[in-house]
Amino acid sequence: MLRGYYTAASGMMAQQRRQDTLANNIANAQTPGYKQDQATIRAFPELLIQRMESGSTKTSSGQLNFPMQNTIGSINTGAYVQETIPDFTEGSLKETGTATDMALINGVLPDEEGGLFFTVQNGDGEERYTRNGNFTVDGEGFLTTNQGYYVLDNAGNPIETDGETFTVSEDGVLQIGEQAVPLAIGYSPNVNDMVKDDEDLFALGEDGVAIENARDNANVTFSIQQKYLENSNVDAVQAMTDMMQAYRSFETNQKVLQAYDQSMDKAVNQIARLT
Amino acid sequence: MNRMSVQAAVTMGQLQSKLDLVGHNIANVDTTGYKNRSAEFSSLLFQQVDNLNDEEANAEGRLTPDGIRLGSGAKLGSTNVNLALGSIKQTDRGLDIALLQDNQLLQVAVTENGATETRYTRDGTLYLNPTEDGQLALTTSDGNSVIGENGPIVIADGAEDVSISENGAIQVTRNGVVQNEAQLAIVEAIRPQFLESVGNNLFRLPDITDEAYVADDIIQGVAFNDIELQSGALESSNVDLATQMTEMMQTQRAYQFNSRTISMSDQMSGLINQIR
Repeated sequence: MLRGYYTAASGMMAQQRRQDTLANNIANAQTPGYKQDQATIRAFPELLIQRMESGSTKTSSGQLNFPMQNTIGSINTGAYVQETIPDFTEGSLKETGTATDMALINGVLPDEEGGLFFTVQNGDGEERYTRNGNFTVDGEGFLTTNQGYYVLDNAGNPIETDGETFTVSEDGVLQIGEQAVPLAIGYSPNVNDMVKDDEDLFALGEDGVAIENARDNANVTFSIQQKYLENSNVDAVQAMTDMMQAYRSFETNQKVLQAYDQSMDKAVNQIARLT
Repeated sequence: MNRMSVQAAVTMGQLQSKLDLVGHNIANVDTTGYKNRSAEFSSLLFQQVDNLNDEEANAEGRLTPDGIRLGSGAKLGSTNVNLALGSIKQTDRGLDIALLQDNQLLQVAVTENGATETRYTRDGTLYLNPTEDGQLALTTSDGNSVIGENGPIVIADGAEDVSISENGAIQVTRNGVVQNEAQLAIVEAIRPQFLESVGNNLFRLPDITDEAYVADDIIQGVAFNDIELQSGALESSNVDLATQMTEMMQTQRAYQFNSRTISMSDQMSGLINQIR
């Protein structure tokens, strides 16, 4: 059997998946706080191939046949996209002039893989995390994300702005009239435990390290810039280059597939040819 | 296969809407009292794909939780009005007024399909129009009456000059004597994001029956002393043309990038078809 058939096909599928990720990155090149995904391709687990044959040895009563197994070596049977890893590098800042826009800027983080997030509450009342500070005020005067999810304060409650204009200090405290409301800033010691949820939100993945309150950790520093947004960290030029590369790789695998088919063609049409 | 082209197509549609919005802002760069609108993108749904169930395949070298997550493009979030004050342009025309406080609005009576409704504007280009009974009505450039403390402002015949004071008092000169004959009823938008644009430079209250607020929570009258306006001047649009052009170019480039995604996806389909 020609094993490479499926190897080539799996290569094509893997590049396709990679393209899906790149296409989504390009689509979100304008989304504030978006973190680009990187698809990592991994070889399928190695297989050990063995030759099965029968050996024979002369005995006094004639010949004994017995099965024999010889190891030939290992073989890889293709590749697949193992994971899509969000790249949490901070995006650049952009001034918008809108009072409800906020950019969260990382200061000193104790863990190398640490990350800071705004804390919001999704439609099911669960806590979610986001880097998109493009907030707005809803019909009841609460500060919400673009999708209408409540932005939470340090005590875990939705923030009532009452439609009043407010200012945000650098340490993330909203001054609403006479009231000072600190924003809830979540700190994840390992951002790789965060899973992309819908609409700019991140959720804590299963078995992930719990999200801490950034204000309770003296080693974490951050600042908030009102009237600014964090740009998407997608580098469109890089993404386009990667896309071309994935495309060519896809093409090469297609050529390999065709080469296998030509071998098959010979087996079908020439081996059995009588004239 | 189509995930790629769907992501790009969806996003292109939304980018088009953003271009519409930018186009509208640019069109109103010279509209008196126009307030710039902006929109930012937001990512769409993420789908969890369980790529391989095999324990061994997932165990080694993974950084993130099991499975892979694929997104499905981007969409526009909510559009926000930027209520910053536009620059004040001196016109030296007596009936031009510029409101100097953010969120203060003039009230205008608009009759549409036989029903009269109060609408709001920051466009202070006012005119005097003769009415059927020989009086002069204070109107906007569309001919809609401006509302004062006692309903639409009407000035009796025989006025020699009409001017508007800093506090919104209509001062009429008759036989050389200046007198306050009416007072503009200025309102303040407490929750300006609620106001609905209805064209012709006017805002109105939306249908708020489902909201937690009553009309008074959104629009409130302003006391005589808190009114601050400048006559002989107009408030320019707060659209910054340079910003809008930059936004437009960026959006257009994003559109191009996404269309490249579609053609790439199409070429990949072509390769699949060439296999045989």
